[in-house]
Amino acid sequence: MPKAVKRFIGLLGLLTIVSMVTFGAMNFLGDPLFNILGPVAADVDNPESLAAIEEAKAQYHLDKSLPERWARWAWDFIRGDFGVQFSSSGQPPVSDLIKERLPRTLELMAVAQLIAVSLAIPWSVLAASRANRRTDKISTITAFAFVSIPSFAMAVILFYFFSVQLDFLPDTYTANDPFWGFSHDHRLIQLILPGFTLGLGSAAAYQRLLRTDMITTLQQDFILMAKSKGVSKRRVLYSHALRPSLFSLITLLAINIGFMIGGSLVVEQFFRIPGIGSAVVEATLREDFPVVLAVVMIVSAGFMVFNYLADYLYTLVDPRVRHEDSSKPRKITSMGM
Amino acid sequence: MLRETEETETILKLTDYRVGFRTERGLAKAVDGVSLSLKRGSTLAIVGESGSGKTVLNRGVMGLLGANIIEGGSAEFQGKELVNESRQKFWGIKMAMIFQDPMTSLNPVMKVGKQVSEPLRLHQGMSKKAARERTIELFTLVGIPEPAQRFNEYPHQLSGGMRQRVMISIALAIDPDLLIADEPTTSLDVTVQKYILDLLVEIQSKSDMSMIIITHDLGVARGRADEIMVMYGGRVMEMAPAETLFQSMMHPYTEALFSSIPRLNDPKHTRLKPIEGFPPDIVDGPQGCKFAPRCKYAQDICLTAHPPETIDNGHAYSCFFPVGTDAGIQALESNEARGFTATGLKIKSKSEAI
Repeated sequence: MPKAVKRFIGLLGLLTIVSMVTFGAMNFLGDPLFNILGPVAADVDNPESLAAIEEAKAQYHLDKSLPERWARWAWDFIRGDFGVQFSSSGQPPVSDLIKERLPRTLELMAVAQLIAVSLAIPWSVLAASRANRRTDKISTITAFAFVSIPSFAMAVILFYFFSVQLDFLPDTYTANDPFWGFSHDHRLIQLILPGFTLGLGSAAAYQRLLRTDMITTLQQDFILMAKSKGVSKRRVLYSHALRPSLFSLITLLAINIGFMIGGSLVVEQFFRIPGIGSAVVEATLREDFPVVLAVVMIVSAGFMVFNYLADYLYTLVDPRVRHEDSSKPRKITSMGM
Repeated sequence: MLRETEETETILKLTDYRVGFRTERGLAKAVDGVSLSLKRGSTLAIVGESGSGKTVLNRGVMGLLGANIIEGGSAEFQGKELVNESRQKFWGIKMAMIFQDPMTSLNPVMKVGKQVSEPLRLHQGMSKKAARERTIELFTLVGIPEPAQRFNEYPHQLSGGMRQRVMISIALAIDPDLLIADEPTTSLDVTVQKYILDLLVEIQSKSDMSMIIITHDLGVARGRADEIMVMYGGRVMEMAPAETLFQSMMHPYTEALFSSIPRLNDPKHTRLKPIEGFPPDIVDGPQGCKFAPRCKYAQDICLTAHPPETIDNGHAYSCFFPVGTDAGIQALESNEARGFTATGLKIKSKSEAI
């Protein structure tokens, strides 16, 4: 069986397990009927209320057994129908909600990662080329500061300086504005502050990792060889040392993108970006299981897809992985999927 | 090989050249006062055990040791002083280096063709196409089969011997005045060692470059080097024209080194004689002769004073009791008689002693 097919089957299996666990766990947490019907759900003595309860149970399949409900949900999910929200109206359908909100989160994530990577690479190269000298030490302290500032604090700091004091970047996010453009009325620019809030911490984490790998690479003989060929210092760093140092960065990148899909909620709340993160906060508070479940599925699928991409990136970065006999165990360990 | 018809100019001249590393215990004197002079078109072999300072000496001359070193004495390359100066202007143009292990000294993620054409493009202003053609030409010259196809391959797709040929093509692409080959065949299969060495010497004599071959194997130096320098503990023990050295070794260390390697014309079942002990501590080493603690000739004076250099018709050596001289024979006999040397090294029996 080709490797890609094997992996795809594994991915499906994992998603199934994740959905089962989440589905089961959500059921122990609370009574969704309360959200659907309001106070009526508790009024079991009144026959009128009881009738409404029975009706709602039937409508939302809450009278069925847990496995059957899961199977119904899964069958709909495969066909792209994520179910109805557990609210009095049940509107909009969960699929529509996701369709509306996911792109915003993905945009934010793309901007944040772009910022993180484009900061981390030159930063690591600079630090590694001056390992243990003053520049490196200052950059290490800076990196630890960025990593340890929580995102809500970072959001406040950046917001205060760049938006309030300097009035340099827009302070509002407007979901209806066009994305691509360079004025305050374009979402690309509106995403810069949230992007930095998420990206600075990641950049610092990437810097820690890439710096270490770069230092290791710079001690290799082939770096001496490149120097002795008269390759300039800059070229040695960027075209000889950088590429073989990227492995851990790619691994962390894949994990971190997954985290960001689900973990951007603080930033989304602060900058009022109606994305997946804020959707999941609202849904959890309302015990709106179908929404939570849909988001969980998206996050897990995202994790797996990005790890798959990371494995592909390894082969681009290092030809040794590409040409390796696939029956042999690999030296670099990805996360399995 | 030296061309006798041409007037020979000195390419590299070291005078009391020293390299030290700062360590927590103090200064590690890896190279401790080496003097030599290398003429255009000639080959010098530097021989010694691991840790004798031969690699540090050459990387020091190349300026590849980084910032944490202290250099002393003088090293002149084509009349220009190198010590404490940047050597970047010579790299890839006038100086080139071949490293010991071709697997770790070729970039694993860069096509070998690109690695060879890099100096051509950077320093000789060749276009991408011209550099590619020249690289393929060089591959043919060093005996790489299917050179055009190899151009686009990565180091891991080539065998050790092929990789070392790639390294040699890099040196050839640079066409330097000085080529330093640091144990160029140590990591290779014996079957390709000879080919690679002969290739190096052939190229060297054709292009009139000077070459330093670093090796721990005296056999490698034989027949390929004009001069041989024997290093121990960062110092020069003995230095002589190659054939002179093989005919009359004056230093006990050279003799010991030579007895520790097998030779084809030895009688069957000849025992190899390893050199007892370990290379000296370069931070806090012996006071007198560095080799004294392992030397079968050692007398009291060897412990306290560093032997002066004796120069006899181009044959230089630093020893109080040189091999084959009256002093040497007497020293060895007295040590054998009492069963140990002045440093306390036990000598087993007369027949086994060298």
